[in-house]
Amino acid sequence: MGAYLLRRLILSVFTILGVMVLTFVLFNLIAGDVSSNYVNPKLGDQAKQDWLEKRGLNKDVIFNKTAGAKFWTGEFYDTQFWRHMIDCVTFQGHSYRYPDKTLMSIIAEKAKYSLALTVPMMAIGWFAGLAISAFVAYFRGTIIDRAGVFITVLGMCVPFLAYMILGQWAMFQISPQHAWGLASPVNIYVPVAIGVIAGLGGSVRFYRTVFLDEMNRDYVRTARAKGVPLPGILFRHVLRNCMLPILTSVVMSIPFLIMGSLLLEQFFGVNGLGDLFLSSINDRDVPIITGLTFLTTVIYVIGLVITDILYAVFDPRIRLR
Amino acid sequence: MSDLVETTRVEQFEPRTGRSLWSDAFHRLLRDKIAIACFVIICIYAGIAIAAPMMFPDWANEVDYDNLNARPSWSEPLGTDGFGRSILQKTLLGANVSMTVGLTANIIAIPLGMVLGAIAGYYGGWIDDIIVWLYSTLASIPGLVKLLAIKFAFIDKVLWKGSWYELDLDGLPGICIALGVISWIGTCRLVRAETMKLREMDYVLAARASGRGGLSILFRHIIPNLLHIGIINFSLGFVGAISAEVFLSFLNLGVQDRPSWGRMISDAKMQLVAGQWWEIGAATVAIFLIVLAWNIFGDRLRDALDPKLRNV
Repeated sequence: MGAYLLRRLILSVFTILGVMVLTFVLFNLIAGDVSSNYVNPKLGDQAKQDWLEKRGLNKDVIFNKTAGAKFWTGEFYDTQFWRHMIDCVTFQGHSYRYPDKTLMSIIAEKAKYSLALTVPMMAIGWFAGLAISAFVAYFRGTIIDRAGVFITVLGMCVPFLAYMILGQWAMFQISPQHAWGLASPVNIYVPVAIGVIAGLGGSVRFYRTVFLDEMNRDYVRTARAKGVPLPGILFRHVLRNCMLPILTSVVMSIPFLIMGSLLLEQFFGVNGLGDLFLSSINDRDVPIITGLTFLTTVIYVIGLVITDILYAVFDPRIRLR
Repeated sequence: MSDLVETTRVEQFEPRTGRSLWSDAFHRLLRDKIAIACFVIICIYAGIAIAAPMMFPDWANEVDYDNLNARPSWSEPLGTDGFGRSILQKTLLGANVSMTVGLTANIIAIPLGMVLGAIAGYYGGWIDDIIVWLYSTLASIPGLVKLLAIKFAFIDKVLWKGSWYELDLDGLPGICIALGVISWIGTCRLVRAETMKLREMDYVLAARASGRGGLSILFRHIIPNLLHIGIINFSLGFVGAISAEVFLSFLNLGVQDRPSWGRMISDAKMQLVAGQWWEIGAATVAIFLIVLAWNIFGDRLRDALDPKLRNV
């Protein structure tokens, strides 16, 4: 277990390094010069150079030519690439739009709005998805099961945008002041409800397959034969044995807990990180895009390591070597 | 008694002709009426995608300021948009972008995933390590963030400008490349795992013993036996590509120069409050039908092609 964990952590470090290099290539090499969004080109070349100078964007890209191969001097690391690597880890880079704030303070300020949206959304979504799929799976082969599967497939195929726009429209008919923005805190429940309903189709279908695999086992038949009541079978025996795939899907969605829901936040005026990400793309605010991409990645990678460990905890048959 | 012997001998001499995997899957699908219905819908969409740009080449300029946001009527079955252009034509034209993205993204992703997966699984060692590192790095950035990040890098980028092979990364080719580059991972994982099993099979050992080289074994013996994974992932990936295109176009990161369903929804998102439901309705129904058809067809295809995955 210890050796496995060590190897897994080393691999994760390499993955994260890979993501750091990848974001540098994408945002600094391919995306290139974004100064025209911040400095009016009519101000001339000097203004542009000043802007670049202030943000360290006119340094050498990867190798500092004056330092050469002297990697033991600080000068060697005075390039765009190394600055990017350092900013990634420390989250102390400065946004182009709000030059006096570090990335860390912006994220800390906005994360609470994202969490207010995503935590209830995912909690209710998991609970509803599990309850409905357990119910549907118990009645497998009957009309309830077939109707359930039919409805979930239909629900999955409606585009998310349609849920969102129709939901807002419906809320607008009922009470217009609650349809947009966060003027009163209860407004958050509209996007929460939309997120839960839109996600229900996919999760019910996934959990139903997971449940059905378990329901056909002998121990379930034994439990039914000796008269264990339905909730007892479903929640005490089946649910516990279905824990692994459920756990994986839960961990996979953790990055979006922080990131928030990209579309919902923008559309409902929730001032969270998802909204920040989209507005940063519109304004070419590279440090924020880099920071948020890296943050979600790190959380995801940590989540994957934790899943591996939990696998061994929940399933004694799995030995980590 | 002698009857019995007689019949068995007859059966021995006239064995039932065995079906190949492909013909078996084909027969299964033929018997499945829902799968055929879905396939017909997909073919109709493909036909529209090819025909619509030829039928309405001048759609964008048919502006009619007397009929802005007109209700559906006999002359305009689905009403008109904010410039007085026909929504019916706009919806039909949208199929082109959607189907192009779905097809091209998968044409990039599936071969990439299959070849890399097979190479990683067959050779193992440091080649395997590098490919696994590559896909786990890509996979560790959550899906939509990754898509947006790549599209962000592609903004205002045109490769080889002015030549006949000009590649406008800000438009349709950019979406296809971005989607293709991120969606090969699932295929690669599956193919790698399957190749590791096939590598130990007797027929691969026999091929190796008879002196075939590694690449020749890969392309003659291993990849043909894993083609069904590619086909299944192709049909499942189509849905993802269509949805992703809608998502990007909605955020104005998709195609700019021609109608697409995501842009229709984006254009119409504020019209619903004014009671104008036809543009968003048309786009939603168009997306719904093709996604439904691909979802069901993909499931049926998987059941037909891969009996191991056939679930309860």
